[in-house]
Amino acid sequence: MSERVQQALAVFEKSLDRRLLAALEVCARCGICAESCHVFAAEPDFRNAPAAKAEAVRRFYRRVHDPIGRLFPWWVGAKDLSEADLEELAEIAFGACTLCRRCTMNCPMGVDTALIMRAARAMLTAVGKAPEMLTQLADAAIAREENLEFFREFYIDQIRELERELQEQTGDPDARIPVEKAGAEILYVALSGAHTILPAAVLFHAVGADWTLSLFEAANYGYFLADLQRAKAIARRIVDEARRLGVKEIILAECGHAYTVLRWEAPNWFDDFPFRVRSIIEAAAEWIQQGRLPLDPSANPEPVTYHDSCNLGRNGGLLEEPRIILRAVVQDFREMSPNRAENFCCGGGAGLVAVPEWYEKRMRAGRRKVEQIRQTGARIVVASCDNCRLQLGDLSEYYGLGVRVSGLMDLVVNAYLAARRMKATAPVAPTWVHAVEPA
Amino acid sequence: MEMKPDLTLDLKGLLCPMPVVKINQAIKNVPIGGIIEAYATDPGVMADIPAWCRSTGNELVTIEKQDKVIRFVVRRLK
Repeated sequence: MSERVQQALAVFEKSLDRRLLAALEVCARCGICAESCHVFAAEPDFRNAPAAKAEAVRRFYRRVHDPIGRLFPWWVGAKDLSEADLEELAEIAFGACTLCRRCTMNCPMGVDTALIMRAARAMLTAVGKAPEMLTQLADAAIAREENLEFFREFYIDQIRELERELQEQTGDPDARIPVEKAGAEILYVALSGAHTILPAAVLFHAVGADWTLSLFEAANYGYFLADLQRAKAIARRIVDEARRLGVKEIILAECGHAYTVLRWEAPNWFDDFPFRVRSIIEAAAEWIQQGRLPLDPSANPEPVTYHDSCNLGRNGGLLEEPRIILRAVVQDFREMSPNRAENFCCGGGAGLVAVPEWYEKRMRAGRRKVEQIRQTGARIVVASCDNCRLQLGDLSEYYGLGVRVSGLMDLVVNAYLAARRMKATAPVAPTWVHAVEPA
Repeated sequence: MEMKPDLTLDLKGLLCPMPVVKINQAIKNVPIGGIIEAYATDPGVMADIPAWCRSTGNELVTIEKQDKVIRFVVRRLK
C-alpha cells in the first residue's frame, strides 16, 4: 500500500463519526436514489446512481471494518484502496456528485450519500487529488487576508466607485457604502464583484439599515474541498471581522454554500459566535412583509421562474422566503416542477462550475434542469446562488434556452426603483385626503 | 518599457470566480517567464488576481483600471 493511500485512509478513519457510519452501513441497495439524482436522470447509467457512487467508498470501508470483508473480501465486495482507486474516486466525489442531497431526501433509509462524498473529498484533498482550481481558489481567499493591507486599498477604491453608482440609483448624494464601520448593526458579506454589492446597498439604503460591508467575500472553496482547516480559515476572516466591529448580525449575499458554511457550520466551529446569521433573502422577505419596501412589480413584466439552490432550499430551509419576494416583485411568477426541497440540482454545485475540464460533464448533468426550465416557458430564471447562476447561464447558451439568468435582489431593486419613480411623478394628493385620515 | 505579452485574454463580462479560472487555465499555455495580459470588468479581480498570484507563486506585474476595464499583467514564474 503506497504512502499516499495510507495517508488517504488515515484521513478517512478520522472522519468516521456516527453519522458517516450510519450512511455507510444502512444502504439497502434498493436503487430508489437513482431516479432522484440529476446526474442519473441525465445519463441513466447504473454507475451514476448515488448508491453506486458511494460503493466506491464502501468497498474499502468494508475491507477494514466489516469482519467478513477482512476475511473474505470477495464475498461482500470489499477491496483494498489503491492509487488507481483514488483517481476514480476523485472523478466520482468531485465530478459526479454535487452534494445536493436530493438522494438523501428520497432514500427510505435517509442514507446521506453527500456525507460519504464529503468524506471522500476530504481524503482526496489531503493527498493532493482534489481539482487544482478549487485548491487555488481556497488558497487565494486565505492569501487575501494574509495580505490585507495590500488589498484594502484596492478594495476600498472599488467601493468608492460603486458608491457613486449607488448615489445615482438612489438619487441621494449622501448614500454610502460603509466599510469597517465599528458598531454597525449589520455586517454584509458580499461575493467578489459588484453584482452582489450594489443591489444590497440600494436595499439597505431603502430601509435605513445600519450596516457595513465586509472586506472579505462570502465564498468558501475550502468547504467544497471538505478541508476543515481551509474552510475554517476562510470563515474565520469574517467571524473575526464581525467580532472586531461588534455587529449584531451577519447578512450574507445570495450564495448557497456560503449560507451553509456561515449559518449552519460556523457556529459549531467557533466558540465565540455572538451574532445572528441570515441570508439577504430572509432580510428582504421580512422588509417586504413589514411594508418597508415600496415595490412596483410592473418593473419585472416577463415570466419568471425560480431555481431553488440546494444549499439554500433543500439543505438550508429557505423555501418560502424567495417566493414571498417573487410574488411581490414580478408580474408573472411560474413555479418549475418539482420545486422547493424536491427541486433538481442545476448540475454545477459544490465547485463544479469552477473546474474547466468538467464543462461537458456539468452540461450533461444539467439536462434535467433544462427540461424543468423549458416547461415553465419563463424568460427569466432567478437563482440565489452564484454557482447556480453561472451554471444556468452556461446551460442556457449550450442548449439554446434563450433565458436570462438573474439574482433575486436584482429584481427587488428593479421593482423598488420603479415604485420610487412612480411616487416621485405621482400628483400630490389634495390636503382634504389627509384631513379625513384616522389619527 | 512595456513587455510584449505571450497571450492576451479578454475576460470582460466574466464574474468571479471565472477570471481566476481562466487565468489559471491560460497560464499553462505560456512558458515559464512568459507574460499574460488580460482585460476584465468584474471589480472583484482587483482583489482576486493579486491574491491568486500570491497563493500560486506567480508575479503580478501590474494591475490598473482604465475607465470601466481592469487591465492586469501576470508573469508565469513556475
